[in-house]
Amino acid sequence: MEIKVEKPNPWTASVRLKSVFSSFMFIGLISLVFALFDDKTRAWHAYLIGLFYFTSLALGGLFFASIQHLTNAGWSVNIRRITESLTAFLPWAAGLTVIFVLGNFNMDFQVYDWFNKDIIAKDGLLQHKEAYLNPTFFIIRTVIFFGLWLFLCKKIIGNSIKQDESGDVSLTHKAVPLSIAFLGVFALSYSLYSVDTLMSLEAHWFSTIFGVYCFAGLFQSTLAVIILIIGHLLKKGIINKYVNENHLHDMGKFLFAFTVFWAYIAFSQYMLIWYSNLPEETIFFEPRQSGTWLYVSFSLILFKFIVPFFALLPKWAKRNISHLSAVCILLLVMQFVDLFWLVYPNIKKNHEFMFGFQEVGVFLGFLGLFMYSVAKFLSSHPVVPYRDPRIHESMDHHVVY
Amino acid sequence: MPKNPIETLENLLRPASKPGLVGIWMDEHKLVDAAQKVRESGVKNFNAISPFPLHGIDDAMGIPRSFIPWVTFVMGLTGCSLGVLFTWWASAVDWPLIIGGKPMWSLAAFIPVIFELTILFAALSSVAALFFLAGLPKIDPVIIDPDLTSHKFALFVPEGVEGYNRQELEQLFKEMGADEVRSAEF
Repeated sequence: MEIKVEKPNPWTASVRLKSVFSSFMFIGLISLVFALFDDKTRAWHAYLIGLFYFTSLALGGLFFASIQHLTNAGWSVNIRRITESLTAFLPWAAGLTVIFVLGNFNMDFQVYDWFNKDIIAKDGLLQHKEAYLNPTFFIIRTVIFFGLWLFLCKKIIGNSIKQDESGDVSLTHKAVPLSIAFLGVFALSYSLYSVDTLMSLEAHWFSTIFGVYCFAGLFQSTLAVIILIIGHLLKKGIINKYVNENHLHDMGKFLFAFTVFWAYIAFSQYMLIWYSNLPEETIFFEPRQSGTWLYVSFSLILFKFIVPFFALLPKWAKRNISHLSAVCILLLVMQFVDLFWLVYPNIKKNHEFMFGFQEVGVFLGFLGLFMYSVAKFLSSHPVVPYRDPRIHESMDHHVVY
Repeated sequence: MPKNPIETLENLLRPASKPGLVGIWMDEHKLVDAAQKVRESGVKNFNAISPFPLHGIDDAMGIPRSFIPWVTFVMGLTGCSLGVLFTWWASAVDWPLIIGGKPMWSLAAFIPVIFELTILFAALSSVAALFFLAGLPKIDPVIIDPDLTSHKFALFVPEGVEGYNRQELEQLFKEMGADEVRSAEF
């Protein structure tokens, strides 16, 4: 028995949305050029925040889609295409990473100390770590990671889009081994990627939970973006027949769970370092609890955990899209603050607090490009995978608690 | 001669049953529709018995939301506050010890304890509230029909509840396609 589900109305970016993301991209480009003339170190650090932020979102979309395939989830079918749309940024991320690496081969400047032969020569610890932390191996790793991500992304997303035309049930089965492969690759590669790009900014420091910490932020912000896109499509009346408040409720529960998860991981990292009080570990927190950085650290605890925790606790809060969207925007802003807090205190050597047009402008540029790629994806494919064999579970989705 | 304590406990846990009218369906969708009709006819406080959770039965019967989430929330906050109070009193007031050169009152070290107490209080009191609300544990509950735990669905209206009218209810149950309508104890 096959009951037909109607194809959803196509969505196109409104003129207003298009002008928003084009102006963001323009602002980003101008800010980057000015920032490079002003202070190269600062400019590339700002660039790194945007790069890591949106690469993580693109991977997060694929991660979400993969766990739905892996668990054979029926409830999420109607929102799966939205999660898949985030991956449209992944090819851009690869290109922007190339620019980042090229920018760092500049003779007079590097974001990473271990790119610089002179610094390594004077630093015993960096010499010790050179077998892993060296530019050649870094480039090899990055190429492998992006290669695997792009390959599996093309396979999994291509599979899903093919089903819109053929309605072939076997494509659903094919997605399972691909998702398992991606999740395995993702677990290892994202952890190493976060170590390579963020943790090694302070190459003397190490934390084995760092990859998990970055993953917690990735998933929290991915869920927030997905909910915001759902909210936009509901407002435009595109998916109102497909997505009801029960889907929102489940997404809200997901968001709540990973808000707690982030706090749990962040605290685990902090407590062990605080307790053992070893100089090679405390060098990470020392600058972050002095001066203006102390307030930034407190703002993370307050606005990335305590406020969203209580804001997402009641049942009604998770079923109300405007309330949920407000929390999501807060969490996305805090994800930026989190990366800013991870990256900026590493700017040598005074750990000075700096925040200005460079950081905001460059980030907006990345945001514009991300919005552009996601909008392009959503306008060129049906916004609901309407021929997925499990779609009826999602059409009638109902949660009691 | 003293009574057997086990027997006393059993008697205490044996639920009192009430006489009433029962309708039994073989199809859960019909039961949900019937529950809706019974509620609309003005009957309050009736029971639905089903071998598995039914989507939409809460709305059909007009069951308000359970207050268990509030028990969880309030007891979670209580556990949290007690955790703060206890760790502070034990480590900084009653028996101060210097450990690893840390201050007596070191919040970071106590958060695991505070967290665990929050979860313990919230979880145990939620379960306790559930047992209380559901009248559990029950020993030898009255059985209307043994098949209600496998493939049959029933509505039970106790005698004398608000809006109870035997003839009308029997009529309604039959109209809604009940396979069996009879008097029962529950």
